[in-house]
Amino acid sequence: MPSSKSAPRCDALAKATGAERYALDLAPADCLFAGAFRPGAVLGIAHGRLRGLDPASVAAALAVPGVLRVLTAADVPGTNRQGIVHKDQPVLCGEVIRHAGDPVALVLAESALALRRGLAALRADIEPLPGVFNPEEALKKGAPLVHAGRKGGNLLLSALIEKGDARQALKSAPVVLRGEFSTPVQEHAFLETQCGFAQLLPDGVLDMTVSTQAPFRDRFEIGHALGLDPLTIRVRSPYLGGGFGGKDGSTVQCLLGLAALCAGGRPVRMAWDREESILAGYKRHAVRLRYTLGADEDGTLLALSCRLTYDTGAYAHLGGEVMELGMEHAAGPYRVPNVRVEGRLAYTNNPIAGAFRGFGVAQVSPAFEGLLDALAAKLCLDPLELRRKNALHTGDENSSGVTLTSSVHLAQCLDELAAHPHWTGREAWRVAAPPLTRRGVGVSCVFNGMGYGRGLPDMAIAKVELTEAGDFLIYTSVPDMGQGNAAAFALLAAQELNQPPEGIRLVQPDTERCHPSGSSSAGRTTYTYGNALLKACAAMRAKLLTRAAMALMADEAEALELVPGAVQHRTTGRSLPLAALARFLSRDDRLSVAEFLMPVAQDRPDTGRGFAIGFPHLFFAFAAHLARIEVDELTGRVRVCDYVCVTDGGRVLGRSCFDQQAQGGAAQGIGFALTEDFQVRQGLIQTRDLSTCLIPTALDLPDIESLAVDGCEPTGPRGLKGVGEVGLNGPAPALAAALEDAIGTRLRDFPLNPERVLAALKKRRPSSKSGRESGTNSATKAGPKPVAKLGPESGPKPGLKPGLKSERRRA
Amino acid sequence: MNVVFPRSLPELFAALAEPGARILAGGTDLLVRLRAQPEAAAPATLVSLERIAALHNVAEEAGGQSHSLDGVFGPARLPGTLHRVVRLGAACTHAELLAHPLVRARLPVLAQALAVLGSPPVRNMGTLGGNLCTASPAGDCLPPLLALGAEVELASASGARRLALADFLLGPGRTALAPGEALIAVHVPVPGVDVRQHFEKVGRREALAVAVVSLAALVRLGHGGIIAEARLAWGSVGPTVWRCPEAEAALIGRRLSLTALSEAAALVRARVRPIDDVRASADYRREVAGNLLLRLAEL
Ligand SMILES: Cc1cc2nc3c(=O)[nH]c(=O)nc-3n(C[C@H](O)[C@H](O)[C@H](O)COP(=O)(O)OP(=O)(O)OC[C@H]3O[C@@H](n4cnc5c(N)ncnc54)[C@H](O)[C@@H]3O)c2cc1C
Repeated sequence: MPSSKSAPRCDALAKATGAERYALDLAPADCLFAGAFRPGAVLGIAHGRLRGLDPASVAAALAVPGVLRVLTAADVPGTNRQGIVHKDQPVLCGEVIRHAGDPVALVLAESALALRRGLAALRADIEPLPGVFNPEEALKKGAPLVHAGRKGGNLLLSALIEKGDARQALKSAPVVLRGEFSTPVQEHAFLETQCGFAQLLPDGVLDMTVSTQAPFRDRFEIGHALGLDPLTIRVRSPYLGGGFGGKDGSTVQCLLGLAALCAGGRPVRMAWDREESILAGYKRHAVRLRYTLGADEDGTLLALSCRLTYDTGAYAHLGGEVMELGMEHAAGPYRVPNVRVEGRLAYTNNPIAGAFRGFGVAQVSPAFEGLLDALAAKLCLDPLELRRKNALHTGDENSSGVTLTSSVHLAQCLDELAAHPHWTGREAWRVAAPPLTRRGVGVSCVFNGMGYGRGLPDMAIAKVELTEAGDFLIYTSVPDMGQGNAAAFALLAAQELNQPPEGIRLVQPDTERCHPSGSSSAGRTTYTYGNALLKACAAMRAKLLTRAAMALMADEAEALELVPGAVQHRTTGRSLPLAALARFLSRDDRLSVAEFLMPVAQDRPDTGRGFAIGFPHLFFAFAAHLARIEVDELTGRVRVCDYVCVTDGGRVLGRSCFDQQAQGGAAQGIGFALTEDFQVRQGLIQTRDLSTCLIPTALDLPDIESLAVDGCEPTGPRGLKGVGEVGLNGPAPALAAALEDAIGTRLRDFPLNPERVLAALKKRRPSSKSGRESGTNSATKAGPKPVAKLGPESGPKPGLKPGLKSERRRA
Repeated sequence: MNVVFPRSLPELFAALAEPGARILAGGTDLLVRLRAQPEAAAPATLVSLERIAALHNVAEEAGGQSHSLDGVFGPARLPGTLHRVVRLGAACTHAELLAHPLVRARLPVLAQALAVLGSPPVRNMGTLGGNLCTASPAGDCLPPLLALGAEVELASASGARRLALADFLLGPGRTALAPGEALIAVHVPVPGVDVRQHFEKVGRREALAVAVVSLAALVRLGHGGIIAEARLAWGSVGPTVWRCPEAEAALIGRRLSLTALSEAAALVRARVRPIDDVRASADYRREVAGNLLLRLAEL
């Protein structure tokens, strides 16, 4: 049978050779080109009243040979409002632009060149309005309103999780620590920017092929915005060239649908270039966090209280759900009896924030872990021990009051890390730092909920077909954005049907051919669809054995088994090829369909207030991460020397996909924590392209060691849990801890850029010989080493750098 | 847009004489810039240097052919040079130069800069000539070549001339190239064996990162490790490569100790006038421009 260890993922070869067809590769040659006019960025206006398009410029655009239409809000049928939960985002803005990337016109042209010229000809008349760019300012009285006339002003959502009595517990807690943190905007920076093509067919079907994470839901979003019957919209979603949450919800879809409606039946394509992708795409929410943690003298956590302010930018997208998940994780993967988490989500005139791998949780992780390290330092406890002491186990009640009946193997993750040579040998490694370099080792402990949470059914329907050729087609209704779920589906089906990898083929999501399922997101893709698929395959197997009984003259189906390419009689070895069996059966009979609904927390606690849907979660992936870093004293640059992730994702189905998720998550988390530094000033993006949006390169990342604990989630397909997101949450806290270990200062504002690190080094330099301010446990941490000694001229020189030495020998 | 491929210098000059002609070397700067520009500003013809053999050579020559040895920062040649010059053809790619034994052996300061320029694909396409003609204050070849006292060889249909690199670079994006003129080669005096060569670039990541600050340093050590001469050139801290004669002077007669270097660093910080941008603040650049000198203690 296909072994999970050796088999390469089924999409590897086609992707490595460039043969895989992504959305735009499938576009017909005679496509028209559609493009959005987004004047705010050009004019430097993030909030403004749109007086209109300059008519002369529209005439000029239409005069460009090949330009067919210039569409505005007036041309949009339907509500002209898109959005997944809150319908607050115009497809084309008519009166107001609320962020610099808002589109005000859509140009349709015969060629890319004509489109470019048409867009370049357009001018908009926009009167700047006072804007609001900071969520805390946005919530003050008298702040400019992002959505005028909206009840609640700029406050999109305010919610509370309360368990026990945190205020009282903090009053009496022997140790109380406070900290303020902030995390930045992050750009998804997927390889394939937002794109797709669409055509209005003669029968009225709007046929779209889009790089999207949610084809089934898209129909409703598009239908609502454009006044179409959602069921006349067909959405296909071939493999995505990356998504990470940024393609969950409409990106090009509504604009493209509008273009197709106005294209006289011709196909239209739309692809955002990198600058447009950064300007108009969704981002990770920037968050400010104020934390108070109370503990006993032995390190037992007693209470946690925090206030989180999320900046959702101009539109809601999934802001409420992102904040919800952040709040649910705000107390860390620990037993905390008294919890109070307040969350506020504000509209601003910043770029739109939305879903991003680590969905709200990447933002809270550095805060709860930061305070845990502070507690360890204060109590002179080993930071890993402190985490082990408080770690959640199966059966514990978590900070939302949910009793974890699901699998929890966090303690094993920590055990694994505690025994790792990078941890046991950290002190020796630290003191061996080269000249002008500080070394530090840090750990973090993180988790990430799976699924949509209570109130929002997390469902998938799988369909399997035995083809006339005798192989199996899996109709995968949940897109694969690169994370490998398609490969996991193929592997699960191959195992369940006992077929070789080449006996399984996949149909990528297509709302016409596949059955409705939830989105590719939330660590639920392989879990939910995989469960449905196993059911469908089991039913298929049972059916085929029974159908074959006649031909094989077996009067008991149990005497038969599926073998590669055939049904076989166990004892006699007589067999019927699947291709022959298929010819006996009608198409209807060759299909098997099954569904799965993710279980939810039974004892729904009354701890959450303000959440319409999605609270609480029951299943979580856990991870413990370790980072070893070097800090250059002259520049403040941080180099990640080694990185280890130990992940509890239940049972491991395919090792390479599992490791890739852990490693990819860690890499993206390292970029978030160190290099990316996405900057927005007065609503205007400063990080406009990939020359300034510095995602890590191969040289910025160490080999990331991925270890798995031997867990099993009984409700999961073959015991697995979703591991797509948890890896992203670990690096920010682990790197901040390593940095503190190296330089003696905890940085609480992210990213940990050279500027901040150098400033922290400089501040500490005068007192660097006197040891650290707090937490003097010499077993885990020594005081920071003094900066390179400013010795006498005759003094010994620091050692030669090997690189320089060899260069000089050649000179 | 038309692209032509002349095969000799006379053909090149003829092509450049056409209105709207623009040199295309590796295109790694030019094509990026054209993409961002309005279409109307695009050149009519791109003149590729790819097939002109004369622009792809690297050779060592006897010195003394130079027309103008004195740059603005004193004599172009460090005393004690070998009186030899390495001539680098303008259309050599960074990867070719980096792999060339002469560059590695004679000009390690340049090799160190080339090694951190862009990424392997950018080094395979980008050329030395393109780097100098782009004249970005962050161009990685500029500080080493200025510190080395390089000269540029320019030519057009109406003749050839030589200029000190310092006189060639006029400001961000501005050079002394006349219309119709091409950069043919860069002539680099070879420092003596007693000269320590060092380059460091501080970017925001390890590859594909524009320098936030860079430093090229040539230090000639005399008897007992006493500094006889120092040449320091910083990138990304001013409109062009920045030199600090005061810091260079302060090092003379000292050893490469942290004390001497820290004193020179203080002079640097007091004089350098960097700007804020999306990559770094002026304060950070000022601090690091000084700090980078301390790395010389490891030489
Ligand atoms: C992703 C990326 C990363 C980069 N990273 C770095 C980096 O780390 N460090 C760095 O310094 N640069 C970097 N660059 C910029 C660029 O690669 C270099 O400046 C390169 O040396 C330019 O050379 P080129 O041959 O590509 O020049 P081109 O783009 O072909 O030309 C640039 C300009 O010079 C003119 N020109 C070229 N050759 C001549 C000549 N012989 N005579 C007269 N005029 C000429 C052209 O007309 C044009 O105006 C990067 C660029 C990219 C796209």
